[in-house]
Amino acid sequence: MMMTQGPWMLALSASPKWLESLVERLFAYLPAWLTSSLAPTEVADFIVWPLIQIGVMLVVVLTAVAYLTLAERKVSAWIQVRVGPNRTGPLGLLQPAADGIKLLIKEDVIPFKADKTVFTLAPIISMVCAFIVLAVLPYGPHYASITNINIGLLFILSVSSVGVLGIILGGWASNSKYPLLGALRSSAQMVSYEAAIGLTIVSALIFTRTFSMQGIVEAQRSLGIWFVLFLFPSFIVFLISVVAETNRAPFDLAEAESELVGGFHTEYSGFRFSIFFIAEYANMVVVSAIGATLYLGGWYVPGMDWVAARLPEAYREAALTLMGVTAFAIKCGAILYLFIWMRWTFPRYRYDQLMELGWKWLMPAALANIALTATIFIVGKELGLVRSAGGVLQMDWQGKLFFTLAGLLSMFPILALLNAINRNSKSFNLRAQRTTIPVSTRKVKLSPGVKAA
Amino acid sequence: MLLVGWEAVFFWMLTLVALFAAVFTVSARNPVHCALFLISTLIAKGALFLLLRAEFVAGAQILVYVGGILVLFLFVLMLVNTRSEVENPFNRQDKVGAFIAALVGLAILGAVTYTQQRGGFFKTKPSADRMAIENAKPDPNAPAGVISADTETLGVTLYTRAVLPFEIASVLLLMAIVGSVLLARDRRQEETYD
Repeated sequence: MMMTQGPWMLALSASPKWLESLVERLFAYLPAWLTSSLAPTEVADFIVWPLIQIGVMLVVVLTAVAYLTLAERKVSAWIQVRVGPNRTGPLGLLQPAADGIKLLIKEDVIPFKADKTVFTLAPIISMVCAFIVLAVLPYGPHYASITNINIGLLFILSVSSVGVLGIILGGWASNSKYPLLGALRSSAQMVSYEAAIGLTIVSALIFTRTFSMQGIVEAQRSLGIWFVLFLFPSFIVFLISVVAETNRAPFDLAEAESELVGGFHTEYSGFRFSIFFIAEYANMVVVSAIGATLYLGGWYVPGMDWVAARLPEAYREAALTLMGVTAFAIKCGAILYLFIWMRWTFPRYRYDQLMELGWKWLMPAALANIALTATIFIVGKELGLVRSAGGVLQMDWQGKLFFTLAGLLSMFPILALLNAINRNSKSFNLRAQRTTIPVSTRKVKLSPGVKAA
Repeated sequence: MLLVGWEAVFFWMLTLVALFAAVFTVSARNPVHCALFLISTLIAKGALFLLLRAEFVAGAQILVYVGGILVLFLFVLMLVNTRSEVENPFNRQDKVGAFIAALVGLAILGAVTYTQQRGGFFKTKPSADRMAIENAKPDPNAPAGVISADTETLGVTLYTRAVLPFEIASVLLLMAIVGSVLLARDRRQEETYD
């Protein structure tokens, strides 16, 4: 029953060599009662290096979140042929700092009839759930992730599903109509799209063979290919559901300004509001990182190892890390840009359309994709195009070509299925709905020149 | 299984959290607070699964129960008017309730101690593959935190030994879904849709 140990099954934590030697040297200066029961490498692996990474990660992600808000406003301005914020600092680069200070010194109002404990708890839940996910994200080779647990992807899914609670509780605790409506909408939305995300990830797991995030990247590295080629339909479903999961336009019904004022955070002000805001953008960063890891190879770029092998031995690891971190940042940035792009290009969905898209389009697509990917995988295995050796898949270029083509071609059966399911549902189409209202029941008489619909 | 060191500390901490949160779940006046305490219980139980080295079960517990079922609980609690319960407490039979609960608790405790003395619940010799699963302990010589075969074990079990209970549970859930849809849609609604 035990799995044979593959090269990608790495230790829970590892730290760079220089840190290990540094800790070893420091141990000489520490009192004996402190150091007697601890090994210097373990201290470096499990305490010092994770703590350093946690600090760096927090700073980097918070900065990224701050500048993501600026990027959002800048990109929206470009899309709408405006200039965007450009008064605070050069090119408006200090705008996030100004916003932060403004929100920090605003009055913090708790509504009189609010449930105070839950009201204060809700933003904390949102924030914690958004940031705790960073613990398992590998941003570089080998030691460059805070921890490498064997249920990494499942952990991310479950933690982000707990994050829904922050929104629901925030909306409920405000004891006000609009937040409650916003919370109801978003909880229904997030629960239904979570199902689609979970199912679409299952088809990716057929190729990754592991839940571990670092293992997923290593699986792509050992093949020298990104899984987006094998799993193109799954990637599309993932992208759409993830936008809905983070409550962003065109699925931002939870905070539709025109209908619900501000949605679940209407009653929040000052810094509590900004915590919700940070959590939302941090969630964006996190889901883009998951997408990059699962489908776009994480920190891995084909040809990376070839370049590293050309370098002198001493610099090899450092160069690999540097290239990996850069590649990962670029991939996340590209997906984030896509999110911003989608937000300012598509009009908002109606609520029934949103539910229909989730349950009648994305769910069947994800389910069909699992069946198809599994079939393709077994066919490939029977044809001898892929071998499983020590938990890692091995295939030659014929295998890669076969799986890429099969993945792309599996779009057609999925689309045919979706067409068969949705052919009869007219409510998705606003125009079809309009014709069902009989003319006699109309309150407003059409003026003589206008034809009845 | 004997608990030693940090394992014991975590076990007792999580058990106490789960127990106290469970008590608060039934004693809290506000239904939403009850749901919150239930969430705490379930998360503590998920962490207890981690101590049993059942990582997949822990993740699935939090994903399904907290992320799915409890969110729907809260959804329903928000739709019904729950505030009226806060003002007039309805549990006037708390003494009888406490007596019955104590009785049931003692019965369970007695049953567990009795069977423990008689050599556990299973008197028959467990089958070979069951022993293989139970003895599939992580290799003590393996480097710390190497990825375990927990998920694989679970998947293989679900498709071989546990396939019948699994299918029965699936059919039951499907029936529940169909039934709830039937109950929720009355005839007038059907006619409008047709």
